[in-house]
Amino acid sequence: MLLVQLLTGLSSAASLFLVAAGLTVIFGVTRVVNFSHGSLTMLGAYIGWSVLTRLPRGPEWFVLGIVLTGLATAAIGVVLETLLLRRIYRAPELLQLLFTFGIVLVVQDAALWIWGANDLPLPRAPWLRAFVVIAGERVPQYDLILIAVGPLVLGALWLLFTRTRWGILVRAATQDRDMVAALGVDQKRLFTSVFALGAGLAGIGGALALPDASANLQIDLNIITDAFVVVVVGGLGSLPGAFLASVMIGVLQSFGIVLIPQGTLVIVFVIMAGVLVVRPNGLLGTAPSAVHGEAASFAPIRPAVPLLRWIGGAGLAIAALAPLVAGPFALSVLTEMAIAVLFAASLHFMMGPGGMASFGHAAWFGIGAYAAAFAVKGAGMGGLVLAPIVAGLAAALFGWFVVRLSGVYLAMLTLAFAQIVWAAMFQAVDLTGGDNGILGVWPAPWAADRRVFYWLTLALCVGGALLLRRILYAPFGYALRAARDSALRAEAIGLDAGRLRLAAFVIAGAAAGLAGGLSAFSKGSVFPGFVSIARSVDGLLMVLLGGVQTIAGPIIGAIAYTGLFDLLLLVTDFWRAALGMAIVVLVLAFPHGIAGTLHRAWLRGRPA
Amino acid sequence: MLIVQDLHAQYGRAHILQGVSFAVPPGAALVLLGRNGAGKSTTFKSLIGLIRPTAGRITFAGHQIAGHEPHRIAQSGLGYVPEERRIFTDLTVMENLEVGRLPSRDGQPGWTPERLFSLFPNLATMRSRPGGRMSGGEQQMLAIARTLMGNPRMVLLDEPSEGLAPVIVEQMAHAIRAMREAGVTVLLAEQNLHFALAVADHAAIIETGRITWSGTVAALRADPALSEAWLAR
Repeated sequence: MLLVQLLTGLSSAASLFLVAAGLTVIFGVTRVVNFSHGSLTMLGAYIGWSVLTRLPRGPEWFVLGIVLTGLATAAIGVVLETLLLRRIYRAPELLQLLFTFGIVLVVQDAALWIWGANDLPLPRAPWLRAFVVIAGERVPQYDLILIAVGPLVLGALWLLFTRTRWGILVRAATQDRDMVAALGVDQKRLFTSVFALGAGLAGIGGALALPDASANLQIDLNIITDAFVVVVVGGLGSLPGAFLASVMIGVLQSFGIVLIPQGTLVIVFVIMAGVLVVRPNGLLGTAPSAVHGEAASFAPIRPAVPLLRWIGGAGLAIAALAPLVAGPFALSVLTEMAIAVLFAASLHFMMGPGGMASFGHAAWFGIGAYAAAFAVKGAGMGGLVLAPIVAGLAAALFGWFVVRLSGVYLAMLTLAFAQIVWAAMFQAVDLTGGDNGILGVWPAPWAADRRVFYWLTLALCVGGALLLRRILYAPFGYALRAARDSALRAEAIGLDAGRLRLAAFVIAGAAAGLAGGLSAFSKGSVFPGFVSIARSVDGLLMVLLGGVQTIAGPIIGAIAYTGLFDLLLLVTDFWRAALGMAIVVLVLAFPHGIAGTLHRAWLRGRPA
Repeated sequence: MLIVQDLHAQYGRAHILQGVSFAVPPGAALVLLGRNGAGKSTTFKSLIGLIRPTAGRITFAGHQIAGHEPHRIAQSGLGYVPEERRIFTDLTVMENLEVGRLPSRDGQPGWTPERLFSLFPNLATMRSRPGGRMSGGEQQMLAIARTLMGNPRMVLLDEPSEGLAPVIVEQMAHAIRAMREAGVTVLLAEQNLHFALAVADHAAIIETGRITWSGTVAALRADPALSEAWLAR
């Protein structure tokens, strides 16, 4: 029993390792956190299914099919890299992430269009069904093969990276790509080939998992979350670390399903959080070396020019008067927009001035929503007061871990915490109703009218956003930005950078909690979806779409995104592809976000 | 070998190079003298293509290279040894050399690790040591050796003597002379005038992004005002 679980865990680690190895190699050289790596894995599963179902059933044909799949995804990777990703290597980290998420959406709809919505299981050939008896237990033969694949691939990659000129160039470029170029190496070709390798590994990883699972449309986000965890726990850029971490997580999940079926997701992310607190750079990672020539610099935030104030005031007036003419649908979209504005403003507060890029901002939104929903029975609308308080307290607790980290690690840890919250809400069926959610969260009679509720929402959200803005111009805001720009120098002049960041984290969490509470009353219900990765990504999209470096950015982004989204839902079934393409085009056209790019255009032709 | 005409470059809004012009004849060694912030490193980065010049012409071995990508410039025979050395710290000495390797040109015998180890004997004893576990002087030698692996026609050396012990500086001067004997043209940025004059035959003085004087080292020594300003520091 114990042995079988161990072997199952080890075999599931193999596919995870291949995917994570590809991710970490690509990250090492290009410094792009590539969300679309999960899409390549998903394409690997689908292409593998298409190839393997057309080939004879023998094991030798299976191997051929897997190799062909790897080559196919490598080719897709080359196309992706040369057409799209190459253009954003110098863009800010989070815009790259947004960009690759756009690709995820497009690929998802492409896969839906080509292969349909149904899961595609691989018909299992006899050799795939064979068992081997070990210590009296029946162990699937295929599992044993997979267990061998992991170390074999690790060994092959190790040889590739230490014994070939190509591998040495890749390792050098991981450290200092400009210097490699100055020594006469064509970076573009090197990057493309690395991407091809990573994409091939992702595809093979996806195809190898086929016999134990199926090709389906959820693979992309599921595997990318796991692969992120593996890469971060192992240490960014470390292949042995990725191997160790995938074995650890594969085995833990395998035992977790038996021991605590309710808490498997929580375990994975608790382990990840634990590792990061003890070893902030992962198990085998080293402190990231500064990438030459790419010092992050933020333009100072300046008070709004009168023109912008007028536009803002006019917009607010229109928003306040809109219910007099708007129909119920328009009103619900407007309510959603107002909530999105506060949500995005709170995320921006943390990301921009706070310098903490969060992947898991939905955690605070969801905690606020659930707090309001729990309280509604006893306190009615009073639950709305609890939403920011509970979310703020939770943010204080989590923030204590989070503010020690920075960059990608911080983003990953916030993702982990959001997933813990999500898993808790999803799996604690008795308390939260699990997937069915909590229903009947309606506003008090005085606010039950859609228009009154909209005005209340507008007042609280705009008020909240303005308060956040006010805080940025207070001494606290200046100190916070000083701590972001140089924690060391800020501490040297007597600022406690950790406490400042924690305070910012709590303020942002509380504001997001209020947005969540309002959303719960607006929808009349709360679901785990309030805490989903998709919701966190929505927030990121809003902020990045608008531009991190301006205060107006998240507000414009929230309105644009909510509007775009609702419009897309109305006009097309393939809204994901449309949204994804819109994101890709927007990032290419506005590399600094909409407001950021407008701001630059405005500054151009003016003296500094 | 290298002709620079009215080169301009800027970082954001800071206009660092404001019309730099000078020429290095084939086989010569020219030292670019200037204080911190005068624009020496920016000139070098513009030459190798790490910074895109905003205006001006750079003619290297008869070809216009301004605005080209760094790898093309390096492949055409211009080697670059940066001020910060930028050794790949995770890579061993041999691996660092491998990164710099380019085919030899014009049918000349190319630089090999063995030939470089005779030039820098210290490196020969640490072939498989990671770059991160070497002293500053050893890293400087490795940086030069790595660039020579590309069989350059000309090498840009950005402050090679900076922060090194006198005995190492002595070895560095020896290495530069050996490079010149092998036919490599040298452009050197320096603040250490004694070192510079020991290895160079031409000099140019750069101040706030402009060349204010250029001539032979002999002429520099002969000019009392210049010697006063640059030797009496």
